[in-house]
Amino acid sequence: MRATLDHIALAIVLGWMGFALAGLVAGPALASIAGGMVSALVLVLQRSTPVAGAMALLSPLGVMLPALALRDVSAAWGLPVLPFGTVEISVFLAAYAAFLASAMGLLPVDLYRLGYAPRPVAAMVLIVCAYGLVAGSLFLPLVAVTGQVLWVAGLGSSNWFDHVLHAMLMPVAVVVLLMQVF
Amino acid sequence: MDLVPLAILALAALSLGLSAVAIRRDRPLCWRFAVPDPLPETGNGRFCTVLDHRPETGQAHAPAIVPREDGVSVLWFQGSAEAQPDVDIWGVDLRRQGDTWQASEPEPHLTRKGLGRALAPHQLVVTLGNTMSHDGTPGHLLATVVSVGGWAMAAIADVTMSRDGPVTASKLDLSPILNRSFLVKSPMLAYEDGSYALPAYFEMGPTFGALVRFDDAGRVRDRRWMRSRRAKVIQPMIVPLDAQRALAFLRDFDRSDALWLSRTEDGGQDWSAPEPTGHYNPSAPVAALSLGDGRLLMAANADPAAPDALILSVSDDEGTSWREIHRLTGPGALRYPMLRRVGGEIVLVHSTGGKHGVAAHVFDAAWVAAR
Repeated sequence: MRATLDHIALAIVLGWMGFALAGLVAGPALASIAGGMVSALVLVLQRSTPVAGAMALLSPLGVMLPALALRDVSAAWGLPVLPFGTVEISVFLAAYAAFLASAMGLLPVDLYRLGYAPRPVAAMVLIVCAYGLVAGSLFLPLVAVTGQVLWVAGLGSSNWFDHVLHAMLMPVAVVVLLMQVF
Repeated sequence: MDLVPLAILALAALSLGLSAVAIRRDRPLCWRFAVPDPLPETGNGRFCTVLDHRPETGQAHAPAIVPREDGVSVLWFQGSAEAQPDVDIWGVDLRRQGDTWQASEPEPHLTRKGLGRALAPHQLVVTLGNTMSHDGTPGHLLATVVSVGGWAMAAIADVTMSRDGPVTASKLDLSPILNRSFLVKSPMLAYEDGSYALPAYFEMGPTFGALVRFDDAGRVRDRRWMRSRRAKVIQPMIVPLDAQRALAFLRDFDRSDALWLSRTEDGGQDWSAPEPTGHYNPSAPVAALSLGDGRLLMAANADPAAPDALILSVSDDEGTSWREIHRLTGPGALRYPMLRRVGGEIVLVHSTGGKHGVAAHVFDAAWVAAR
């Protein structure tokens, strides 16, 4: 089951890359077809070297990356999507950088290990829900709780952070922030 | 009324239910070491070399001891050179036959291709490194796996083995950085409740030693670390002294020429900042085990005048002082020792010829006591 979920997530993320690249020269319809074809190829060719290599590089995919990919496709199709604000992204980048630094032993606390334990995870998910309530955004609570569902079900990583964060979020957030600022 | 707040409240309610399930199911970890009984000073008092494997070409390095019902297996990585894409895990079986030990022919035990097929999700395995016995789950191995890049991009895979090779495998969830940069070197530690912990280490630029705990399902449940601002400590070799206290001997990845030591007094929950011991170490891992009653046995490259020699030392005072009891020399540098108790005997393995071979020796407490 873990493998299936990871392959679906990889198919969505790589399909989104196909969608984004095709979107540079085509409209949402054609770009979606291109992205869909990439996703289908990823699912069909699971044991091929390129897909196995991409999986080796990106696994565990978690919920956030595919959720952001689907969100972006939805926005391109004109569905109402509440964009992340500049302050929101800046705060996320600072907090995530500190989180990664702590996991590398550069800070005195190990924040990552909180993701193994049910009580801290319970508190963190509720905080995300409260933030969503204040900001009027469903996206982050949805990702946090979906990640918790998978975590409690034992599907995927035994650390909740792996379900709701991904190292690729750092470059993605930097690019989005730069696009907003400039 | 806006549906978004309602949906978020519903999600929060779902989360509360999930948290209740998770908290109720969670079993607190036992933090009391299972200290082995003192090794009885019985036996024939002999020291036997039972394996001296030197491949005609390439390297064979980092042997590990895997206990089996009828003896032990010795596993190591072998290929053209360390970290190359032709490295597989090779091994031999050592069986006692009367007064002697017999070694089977060396053969591939865990291949990159086989492990890649077994990994869930399926993914590339470029090269393999240090591989240990998963003492908490018989029939499992813990392998250092590189899918992309070098050792700093390694992960630890829990591999279910059959007679024909790996059946299933998954990487331990140890790092938010693409699950990278954790490696293994030293044997696992037993706890009083029958669970085991894995000494591991992180080496992506910053380095630290770690103690990894597992839940009942064999998934990572916690990790504690041994960090130093003064040295790049890796490859913790942990020896329990009693139920609460243990020593972690650490290699400095930089060349401080010292062996470093961290201590715990609460079963491994907290570790002191590593300090240099004053004992020479040429940035090489050490092996150690408890002989019981505060006596420790160590295999280390501990002589600055002969850094390639592997020296067996005994401490009668919980590691405060050491006396040399035996010295192994050549061919070349003897490195990467591992010690394990097997029944009433002790098995020592190490690399020979500067990563170009592996050797295994068997001796008993009577041999140690006589020296």
